[in-house]
Amino acid sequence: MSALLEVRDFHVSYGAIKALQGFSLSLEEREIVSVIGSNGAGKSTFMNAVMGMVARDRGEAFLDGRKLPARSFQVVRSGLSLAPEGRKIFAPLTVLENLQIGAFSRAKQSGARADMEWVFYLFPRLKERVRQLAGTLSGGEQQMLAIGRALMARPRVLLLDEPSLGLAPIVIRDIFNELRRVNEEGVSILLVEQNARQALLLSHRTYVLQTGRLLKEGPSKTLLTDPEIKSAYLGKGQAP
Amino acid sequence: MGNAAQFTEFSTLFQQVVNGLSLGSVYALIAVGYSLVYSILSFSNFAHGGFLVVGGYICYGLFTGFELNVFSRHLLTVPAGSVWLAGLGALGGAGIVAVLTERLAYKPIRERTSMTLYLLIASMGVSIIIENIFVIAVGGRFRALPQSMFPSGLYNLGWGVTASSSDVLSLTCAVLFLGGLQFFLTQTRWGLAIRAAACDLRTAGLMGVNVSLLIAIVFFAAGLLAAVGGVFLSYRYTLYPQMGGITTKAFVAAVIGGLGSLPGAIVGSLILGLAEMLTTGYVSSQMRDLVVYSLLVLMLLVKPAGFFGKPVSDKI
Repeated sequence: MSALLEVRDFHVSYGAIKALQGFSLSLEEREIVSVIGSNGAGKSTFMNAVMGMVARDRGEAFLDGRKLPARSFQVVRSGLSLAPEGRKIFAPLTVLENLQIGAFSRAKQSGARADMEWVFYLFPRLKERVRQLAGTLSGGEQQMLAIGRALMARPRVLLLDEPSLGLAPIVIRDIFNELRRVNEEGVSILLVEQNARQALLLSHRTYVLQTGRLLKEGPSKTLLTDPEIKSAYLGKGQAP
Repeated sequence: MGNAAQFTEFSTLFQQVVNGLSLGSVYALIAVGYSLVYSILSFSNFAHGGFLVVGGYICYGLFTGFELNVFSRHLLTVPAGSVWLAGLGALGGAGIVAVLTERLAYKPIRERTSMTLYLLIASMGVSIIIENIFVIAVGGRFRALPQSMFPSGLYNLGWGVTASSSDVLSLTCAVLFLGGLQFFLTQTRWGLAIRAAACDLRTAGLMGVNVSLLIAIVFFAAGLLAAVGGVFLSYRYTLYPQMGGITTKAFVAAVIGGLGSLPGAIVGSLILGLAEMLTTGYVSSQMRDLVVYSLLVLMLLVKPAGFFGKPVSDKI
């Protein structure tokens, strides 16, 4: 197996409701892969299932050929970290403390200081606000903090759940540009997005999820011009 | 003449303030642990009083060489009279009982439902179970820790105001333990994790924090602090299986200060201790509970979130 992250046949249900019905995905080293789909398609469920936040009925995931553990703190230790939907930053803690907690899982805390400099290099705005309480940041800055906090775990794969949620278009563009820089630094990214256009523009490959099942997958460039995707997810005549 | 009257007036006030701070410091030890658990799991742990009973009896048992009942005297003979052994045993033992309570009674519920009401009801059950275990095992009679346990004597603070050495000791211990907790929460990696978990337990798990272990640490700390309070209560007043009932006062203190806030729990406890002792000194000791619960109702009407609590809407 050559893929860095390999997800096979995920099934997740909430009582009688089947949220995922056999979804598989793979991601190569240094790749950006996105999963798009409308509200309720199962995107967040998929991310939470990978991270061990929700139990799955069936399916396995492998990182570098090794099976991912079941509990989320072990998943983080093995090399995945998630910037969750809605950012979920720790509002009463400072920006610095939010970044420090991101490094909790690392065996050696000594590397954390260098990584913090790296996060500040990627997001200079965070450095200016390092002593500020995280709850006082703007929405865009909070998203940067959520991404920076996830990067502090030095993940093999960075998972992002709806980073565009609730942000103004211009801020979304900033965030996505920064994600491209993060990827250029060598971090593989798995992105789940309702904002299909931004996701397709950023990622190398895309999976389209519809009511818990795979609808389509392919290179993002191809899907951008796919008539079905265009009419269902991209709308008409929108500027990129 | 006028001067002498003023002098007496002042020394009464000051004496009651000293007594109030001393009582408040014991409340604070109990309230802080209770508030700590609340901040992580969002439920009122009514078994918290049980932890101080456990601490009190372990201390009594170890200090008097297990003269609690006939059976244990034959089973165990411990060199009696070591304050340190008795104290450490009480703190560690109560901490372990707190962790076991969480593992056996709360964890299975937490894993099945997110409704904290079930945890609240379970904690009421655990509280009664702990109480009854002691009634059966050692009997319901009132005991007191031997007065030889701590140095006795009075400190003269001037103007006719005195503080007993146990007052001074309980205040000192409260400051040391609460300071230690503060250090742990602000200066260590696990302390940071606990503060993050108080904000959002699920997301703390996403940071690679072993949430089960974190909850165990929190319960251990809460049990340990309750035992410090329990030891001082059983030394200054009496030790009996229902002693945990005093936790109600710590609940009131935590609510006044703001549920889930540790500085709030301390401030609330000191306010409560002072209110009780000033009522005792100037009105009558029978009125103290009336004043305490009136304060609670007043606080809930005027500022339901307490002094340091999050606004209620933020807690959802």
